Amino acid sequence: MITWNSFTGFAIPTIALWVVAVILQYSVRKQLWAQLSTVAGILLFAIFIGGFWMSLERPPMRTMGETRLWYSFFLASVGSITYLKWRYKWILSYSLVVAIVFILVNIFKPEIHSRHLMPALQSVWFVPHVTAYILAYSLLGAATIVSVVQLYKPDRINDEELSNFADNLIYIGFGLLILGMLMGAKWAKEAWGHYWSWDPKETWAFITAAAYLLYIHMRLQSRHRRFTLWLLPVAFIFLMITWKGVNYLPAAKNSVHVYAQ
Amino acid sequence: MTEPTQKKILWKPPWSFAESAFIVTGIVLVGYALQLFLGRFKFDILIWPNNLFAGGILLFALFLLSLKSRSRFFQWLSGIPLTISLLTALVILTVIMGLTPQVTGNSPSQRTVIDILGFSRMTSSWPFVLVYFFTLVALGAVIAKRMKAFRWKDYPFYLNHTGLWIFLFAAGFGHADMRRYGMYVEEDTDYPEWRVYNDKNEVLELPLAIRLNDFTLDEYDPMLAVIDRKTGNAIPESKPEYLQLDSTQTGGKISQWEISIDKYLPQAVRNSDSTYKTVFMPGSCPAVKVRVKDKMSGKTQAGWVCCGNYAQLYRVIPLNAKYSLAMTRPEPKRFASDIEVYTRSGKSVKHVLEVNKPLTIDDWTIYQYGYDNEMGKASGYSSFELVYDPWLKLVYVGIILFASGSLCLFWTGRKKKGEVKDDHLE
Repeated sequence: MITWNSFTGFAIPTIALWVVAVILQYSVRKQLWAQLSTVAGILLFAIFIGGFWMSLERPPMRTMGETRLWYSFFLASVGSITYLKWRYKWILSYSLVVAIVFILVNIFKPEIHSRHLMPALQSVWFVPHVTAYILAYSLLGAATIVSVVQLYKPDRINDEELSNFADNLIYIGFGLLILGMLMGAKWAKEAWGHYWSWDPKETWAFITAAAYLLYIHMRLQSRHRRFTLWLLPVAFIFLMITWKGVNYLPAAKNSVHVYAQ
Repeated sequence: MTEPTQKKILWKPPWSFAESAFIVTGIVLVGYALQLFLGRFKFDILIWPNNLFAGGILLFALFLLSLKSRSRFFQWLSGIPLTISLLTALVILTVIMGLTPQVTGNSPSQRTVIDILGFSRMTSSWPFVLVYFFTLVALGAVIAKRMKAFRWKDYPFYLNHTGLWIFLFAAGFGHADMRRYGMYVEEDTDYPEWRVYNDKNEVLELPLAIRLNDFTLDEYDPMLAVIDRKTGNAIPESKPEYLQLDSTQTGGKISQWEISIDKYLPQAVRNSDSTYKTVFMPGSCPAVKVRVKDKMSGKTQAGWVCCGNYAQLYRVIPLNAKYSLAMTRPEPKRFASDIEVYTRSGKSVKHVLEVNKPLTIDDWTIYQYGYDNEMGKASGYSSFELVYDPWLKLVYVGIILFASGSLCLFWTGRKKKGEVKDDHLE
């Protein structure tokens, strides 16, 4: 039985494998070993999530601590896949380091109470809705790092290859963001009676999507490069407000989306 | 932009960012003027068939405009700068909305500046409605332009933009036709219920009636907690610890107390000697026999703990002067109503209604809403929400198109180096 008590037992070896992967990436020429170490960590972590899911008898996607498991898992996975496609070393080490940070947060501040799944959350839309969002957040987070690198190093602002790479992350991330939102709309219709109620979480999800839409359309023309790049960190702040901030906003104290408090 | 030689004269065609920003700002300002003089936008004026006429006029206007698709005006209307300006306006308005608590329903608005400007009812404020409408016009123009130069390989563009347009159109123009009512139906009555309450608590009669054959409530097993005897809050207050009860649970630890479970009865009734026995009846409630050891003092005590319900008292074990061992009330796992629905058109449908499993009949959707919380399993009524939305099918068409377009983004992405993306551009 894999319960939350076994988390540290899985988390420490996973962190170790990923730390080794980052070190190998920059110390050994051959990248195969770094890749293998990364994948071994991902598999180990996946076994924990799977076993935890089975022992909970519901998907571990409800509390903050549970969604962080997925964030770590997908960050490492997406980092690995994008590395294989684009061969940017830093993207892999960045995703691994952030994934490790989320694991550490879960070790020291789990926020994982054994809670029952209320009827409104018992739906076929639960897993795809949350997964699409978490995956979107990981990709959009990676794209934000690219934009920060470009803003920080003025000579890279016009690096078209790097910008196109960020755009690829954004297009896939935005596609997932919209899919997550539309699945949420269908679910909301089934559970709450309306597909869009401008609940605070929905309002901020709209703002986030609109901000990324702004970026995508700015990139279709070539003027105002710096402004365009700045849109990504700003959009990511909106994203963080949607994800976590609404739990603390006074305007959102009646949100139907705040479950874990 | 920075060099004066490149600076173009404002309002000289072709219009770009500056002109678009001016015009969208103008729209927002006109919106605030209307807001100040007329109050908030009354969606009632778009009630059927007015919304059909307005929508028809919008479509016809878009068609007429697209006949002149080479004109400077149409090029601007369907161009990137206007898209950017409208999106920016939407982001600013919705950020204000996201930071201001929103007033819903018919509660009278106070007259603070925030209310007068419509910040607290953003989606029915004039600036928001005008920007939303103008977005529909501009997005329609973008689609019309690309339709005139139709290419199969642009399918992601058509799916995304048309899907979004249909969604925004049906949601916006259909809003006034939506109705939501609450209905309370008692169990085991001979005649069905057809009276409902609207959000003003007025009673209305519907062309639709519901009979409740049976209401069932399944609950999760309760949990044990150590509570503060004064406040009743579980400890530690920042992150309460619970011991989940179920048929396999043998015991555990909360704070300094070691708890072992002797007997757990999910459906129990209290005997005259303060013990419990299993009885299957509506008034039964969970009870558990435990032994508690205080690791600090070494003291052990045994007894029954029960969460209580409308028929039985709760029972706790006092641990010391400050704390008691108590049982939480069971949380609902699933509640369902076995109903039969009759429509005026002569249809009758049997259905088991559950949360997340509504029943759709004609343009109505019927939801399981609630029950008598105090009575729990013994609730004598079930409450439903009835939602009428004749535009829902069109909304779903938009959602399906838009979702398909989003999937396409996975493989379209940015084009390769050197290739120019020409969305919106000629």
